[in-house]
Amino acid sequence: MARRPPITNRIRELREQHGAMTQAELGDAIGVTRQTVIAIEQGRYSPSLESAFRIARVFGSTLEEVFRWDEP
Amino acid sequence: MPFQEKSAWIMSVALLLGGAFYVSVVSEMSSPQEGLAPPVIPVVAIYTVILVVVAVAGHIVAAVAGPKEANAPEDERDSKIRHMAGYFSRYLVGGGAILALGVYLLSYDGNLLFHAVFASLMISQISEYAIQIYLYRSAV
Repeated sequence: MARRPPITNRIRELREQHGAMTQAELGDAIGVTRQTVIAIEQGRYSPSLESAFRIARVFGSTLEEVFRWDEP
Repeated sequence: MPFQEKSAWIMSVALLLGGAFYVSVVSEMSSPQEGLAPPVIPVVAIYTVILVVVAVAGHIVAAVAGPKEANAPEDERDSKIRHMAGYFSRYLVGGGAILALGVYLLSYDGNLLFHAVFASLMISQISEYAIQIYLYRSAV
């Protein structure tokens, strides 16, 4: 199994705080598929810098509030 | 499951079916006395028909089952996975072709050269889709 990127995120939590936004709605807002949002949430895919900024903007947050470098 | 992953499964099945047909016919046509059977157009044509029919039918079923996913454009993750899988498969087809040419230089068997290059093409394509499926199911 490929190594997971050492990046964690609060996307699921932020979606719930923003009116229980669905993964599909977030995907539509940032221009990726629902499956890619799922992969990002599960830490199986690191989004591009552009998508990371788009996600942060959707939630009105900064990058650091959404993503965290989590190296052991 | 993303449409691209479904597509990779469909193409893997199509290529495996076509490959099984090709290998079974060529081994049936070959004999220990006369060596490897020569490549013949009808076998390659039937291989192509199997590939096209299974691929088209499979994609129609997948699109009908999930029309929204089928219409969604490829996103950055799909693109990255496609490029990574293509990178490995290009090495496979290139390595296979070089190996086939090396074997030809030693054997001067044109039939073997054709089948070896054709097999490299099939293996690289199957590997490309297998790698795509693996990457969709693991971390990228």
